[in-house]
Amino acid sequence: MTDILRISVPITVWIAAFSAVYGLEGVICSDLWRGAGLSLGQGRGALVATWVAAIALQVALLVALRSRRFASPHPWVQRLATILGCVALVATVWSLMPVATTSLCL
Amino acid sequence: MTEKKRMTALRLHKALYPIWRNDPGWKGVLTTVNNNTIGNMFILGATGMFLAGGILAMLIRAQLASPRSAFMGPEIYNQIFTMHGTIMMFLFAIPFFEALTVFLLPGMLGTRDLAFPRLSSYGFWCYMIGSTIMIVALVAGVAPDGGWFMYPPLSSSAYSSGINTDIWLLGISFIEISAIGAAVEVVVTVLRYRAVGMSLDKLPIFAWYMLVVAVMILTAFPPMILGSLILELERAFDMPFFQAEHGGDSLLWQHLFWLFGHPEVYIIFLPAAGVISMVLPVMARTTLLGYGWVVAAAISLAVLSFGLWVHHMFTTGIPHMGLAFFSAVSTLVAVPTGVQIFAWIGTLWKGRPEMHLPMLWILGFFVTFVMGGLTGVMVAMVPFDWQAHDSYFVVAHLHYVLIGGYVFPMIAGIYYWMPVLTGRKRFFRMGETAFWLVMVGFHGTFLLLHWAGLLGMRRRIDTVEAGSGWESINLLASISGFVLAIGFGLVILDVAVNAFVAVRGPRNPWKAGTLEWATPIPGPSYNVASIPVISSRYPLHDNPDLPVQIARGEGFLAWPDRNRRETLAVSISRGEPEFISVFPKNTIVPFVMAVVTSVMFMAPVFKWYWLMFIAAAGVTVLALVWAWANGSRRDEGLLDAGRGVSLPPHTEVAYKPGWWGSLFLLLADSVLFGSLLFGYAFLWTVAPNWPPPRILQPGILGPVLALAGVALASSGIRLGDRAIREDGAPWRGLLASLAGLAALGAAAATVFAGTTYNAHAYDATLWVIAGYVIFHAGLAGLMVLFLLCRIGTGYVSARRFGDARVVRLWIDYAVLTAALGLGAAWLPGVLP
Ligand code: HEM
Ligand SMILES: [Cu+2]
Repeated sequence: MTDILRISVPITVWIAAFSAVYGLEGVICSDLWRGAGLSLGQGRGALVATWVAAIALQVALLVALRSRRFASPHPWVQRLATILGCVALVATVWSLMPVATTSLCL
Repeated sequence: MTEKKRMTALRLHKALYPIWRNDPGWKGVLTTVNNNTIGNMFILGATGMFLAGGILAMLIRAQLASPRSAFMGPEIYNQIFTMHGTIMMFLFAIPFFEALTVFLLPGMLGTRDLAFPRLSSYGFWCYMIGSTIMIVALVAGVAPDGGWFMYPPLSSSAYSSGINTDIWLLGISFIEISAIGAAVEVVVTVLRYRAVGMSLDKLPIFAWYMLVVAVMILTAFPPMILGSLILELERAFDMPFFQAEHGGDSLLWQHLFWLFGHPEVYIIFLPAAGVISMVLPVMARTTLLGYGWVVAAAISLAVLSFGLWVHHMFTTGIPHMGLAFFSAVSTLVAVPTGVQIFAWIGTLWKGRPEMHLPMLWILGFFVTFVMGGLTGVMVAMVPFDWQAHDSYFVVAHLHYVLIGGYVFPMIAGIYYWMPVLTGRKRFFRMGETAFWLVMVGFHGTFLLLHWAGLLGMRRRIDTVEAGSGWESINLLASISGFVLAIGFGLVILDVAVNAFVAVRGPRNPWKAGTLEWATPIPGPSYNVASIPVISSRYPLHDNPDLPVQIARGEGFLAWPDRNRRETLAVSISRGEPEFISVFPKNTIVPFVMAVVTSVMFMAPVFKWYWLMFIAAAGVTVLALVWAWANGSRRDEGLLDAGRGVSLPPHTEVAYKPGWWGSLFLLLADSVLFGSLLFGYAFLWTVAPNWPPPRILQPGILGPVLALAGVALASSGIRLGDRAIREDGAPWRGLLASLAGLAALGAAAATVFAGTTYNAHAYDATLWVIAGYVIFHAGLAGLMVLFLLCRIGTGYVSARRFGDARVVRLWIDYAVLTAALGLGAAWLPGVLP
C-alpha cells in the first residue's frame, strides 16, 4: 500500500491544489469576497501565495520520495514515483500559472 | 507432454472441475459466479447494446439523408438521438471493456477468479436488467429525450414533465452500480490476486491500465450519481437545486456532469490503449517499449483528465482566469498521450510487424485517432470552440475519438483474444472485408460531417432544411453510414460464425508471453490448475513449459484437499504469497438482489415510494444474507498452500479482502460526499439569490449530540476490537459505538427540524447532507448489529477479527463525514 501511495500522492496533491485554486478564484470573484471587505489585489495575493505553496509542497514531496527514509525499496517503483512526482511539479507550475498572468474576474 | 505428465494434469483437472463448475442447465446461468461465464454473457449483452445503439444511428442517418426523407417528428427524434448517445456511452462503451476485463483479467494475472465473484454476478445482472428497462422505455415511447447530458432546466420538471427524464436519471444511476462494482473488483484483484512473483513492475500492461481506469471510475462516477440524485429530488419533491429563483443554479449540473463526463472520455480511451499495448507488441513480435513510461503516462493522463471538465463549459461565461487554467491542462494532457503513441510507434519500429487482422484494426485506429486528436486540439482552443460548439463539427470529432479510439481497438482485441474466448481458430475470412467496409464507411460519414458543421449545421436538429446547402453532404454521409453499419454487422457475424463452427485451435497461436495464454483454451472454470510462480513480464517467453507445469500442479494451491474454492492473495508490491482466499459457492443471491435493487430504483419513477422502501428493506436483508455466508466458525491456523509454504485463510488475517473492497468503495463514497460539499460551496458563492433568507442556527443540542456521537462511536469500536483480539467481552464497546452512531443520526435530524426542505437551495442542500449523515450512521449501526450476531454465533474469535476491522472502517467513515457534513451545515449559523 505504501508503494501505491508513493505513486499516487504527488499527482493527487496537484489535483487538490488545482481545485482549491479554482475554488478560491470563484470565491474572490463572488460577492462574498467584497462582502468581507477584501480587495481584488488581496485576492491576487492569496492566489499567488497558494500557487507558490503548492509548488513548494511538490518540491518537498519530490525530495522526500528520493530520500533514504521515504523512497521505495523497490527501484522500479522509486523511478515511477519520481517520474510522477516530476509530472505533478510541472503540472502545478504550468496549470496554475494563470494566477500570475491573467486578468482576474473578467 | 509425456503420458505420465498428462495423466497428472488430467487428474488435477478432475479434482478441480467439480469444485469450480457452474450449476447445470439454466439454473447455472442465474447462480454462476464464475468470471468466464459472466464475462461471456457480459460481452454478449454489451454487443447487443452496440447493435441497439447502431440501429438508432441508422434511424438518425435515414432521417437526415435528405429533406424529403424525414419520417419522424421532433419528439421521436429527440428520444432517438438521446438514446443513441446514452446507449453507446453507458450501455455499450463502458460495459464492453468491463466485460472483456471480467473475462480476461484473472487469466492474465494467473489467478482463479476476480476478487469478489458474487459482485461480478450482481453487477452483471444490474446491467442486464437496467439495459432492458431502457430498451423497453424506448420501444414504449417514453425514453429520455433531453440529450445524453440532460442539462437542466431543460430536464427539470417544468420543461420535461413526463417520466422520460426520471427513467434516465434513475435507470442510469442503477446501471452505474455495475460500473462501480466492477471497478472495486478490478482494483482489489489487480492489487491482491496475482501469480506469485508478479511484482508491480511485472504486471501485464493491461492490468495497469485497468487499475488506473477502475480508480477513475470510482472517482468520476460519483459526481454524476450525485447530480442525478439531486435532479431527481428536485423533480420529485421540488427541492430547488437548479432553480435560480430559489437559489439554485443549473450550472451546478454542468459541473457535476462534466466532472464525470470529461474523465469519462479517458475511462473509455484507456482500456482501448491497454488492449493496444497488449496486442501491438505481439503483432510486432517484440515486447512493449518503455513499459515504465507507459505506466507513468497512463496514471498522469488519468489524473490530469480530472482537471479538464470546464472545457465543456467554455461557452457558459466563466471568467478568463478560470478558462486559462483549463486551457493549460488541455495542453498538458497532450504530453502523456504523446508518450503512449511514441511507445507504440517505437514498439513497431523495434519489432517485425506481421499483418494479421488485429494489426489491421490497430492501424485503422492509428489513422482515425490521430485525425480525431487534431480536431480535438481545435475544439480545445477557446475561440474555435465558440464557433464549433454544438455543431456537427463536434459530432464528427466525437465519433472519430469514440469509434476510432475505442471501437477499433476493441475489435482488434476481440480478434486477438478470440482463441481464449472461444477456443477456436479463425477460419472464415469475412473479417478483412468487414474492416475495409468500416474504414470506407466511417470516413465517408464523419469526415464529411465536419464540413457540414463548419457550414453551420447544428447538432440535434431533426431535419435538414431544403436549401441550407448541407443536403448533398448529408446524403453522402447517410449512404456511407449504411456502409459503416454493414461493416460492423459483418464483424459481429464473422466473430459469431467463427465462435460456433470454426475448428479448434492450438493454445497460444500468437506466441504471446502473458499468462492468459498459459491455460487450455477456452479457459476452464478455475482458470489455472495451480497458481504459477513467475519472474518476468513475459513468463511464457522465458519458460515455454510453464503451461504444462501449471497444469500438472507445480504451482501453488494445486490439489484441492480442503474441497473448496481457494486462491492465493499476494502482497501488493512484490507479489509474495500472503494468505489463502476462499471463494463463495454458486449462489442465486446476487441475481435476486439485482432484481430487488431494480425495483428500488424504478419505483420512484411512478412515485410508488412505499414500494421503494419495501425494496430497500429487501436489498438490506439480501445484503446481510450475502455477508453472512462468508466466514468460518473455527480457527484453521496455517494451511498448506503447496510448494512447502503455509498460509492462513482469509478469515484469519486482519485486513481481509472485504476490507480492501470496502476501502475502495468508500473512496467512491468520499468523492460523492466531496461533490456534495462542492455543490454547497458552489451555490453559496456563485448562485443568484444567496444568502438564503433563513440560516440554520446550530443551537446546543445538535452539536452536543454530534460530539458525543463522534467520541462514543469511534472509541467504542476500538474497545470492541481490542476485546475481540484479547478474547474479552466486546459487547460493551460495541454497544457504546452503537449509541454513538444513534447520537450522530439524531444530531443530523436536528438539521431537518431547523430547515424547510423545499424553501431554498440552501435548505435542500442541508437536507441532503443530513440525509447522507443519517444514512451512513444507520449503515454503520446495522453493521455493528451484524457483528454482534456474528460474535454470538461463533464467527468471530481472537484470530478471526477481520469482520470487526471492516466495521471499524465504516464507522470511522461515518464519523468523519458526519463531523465534516454537520460542521459545514452549522458553520454559516455561527459565523458573525
Ligand atoms: C455506428 C455508427 C454511428 C453512427 C452512424 C452515428 C451517428 C451519430 C449522429 C448522426 C449523431 C448526431 C445526432 C444529432 O445530434 O442529432 C450522433 C450522436 C452521438 N453519438 Fe453516434 N453514431 C455511431 C456510433 C457511435 C458510437 C460507437 C458512440 C460511442 C461509443 C456514439 C456516441 C454518440 C454520442 C455520445 C452522441 C451525442 C448524442 C447527443 O447529442 O445527446 N456514436 N451519432
Ligand atoms: Cu472533455
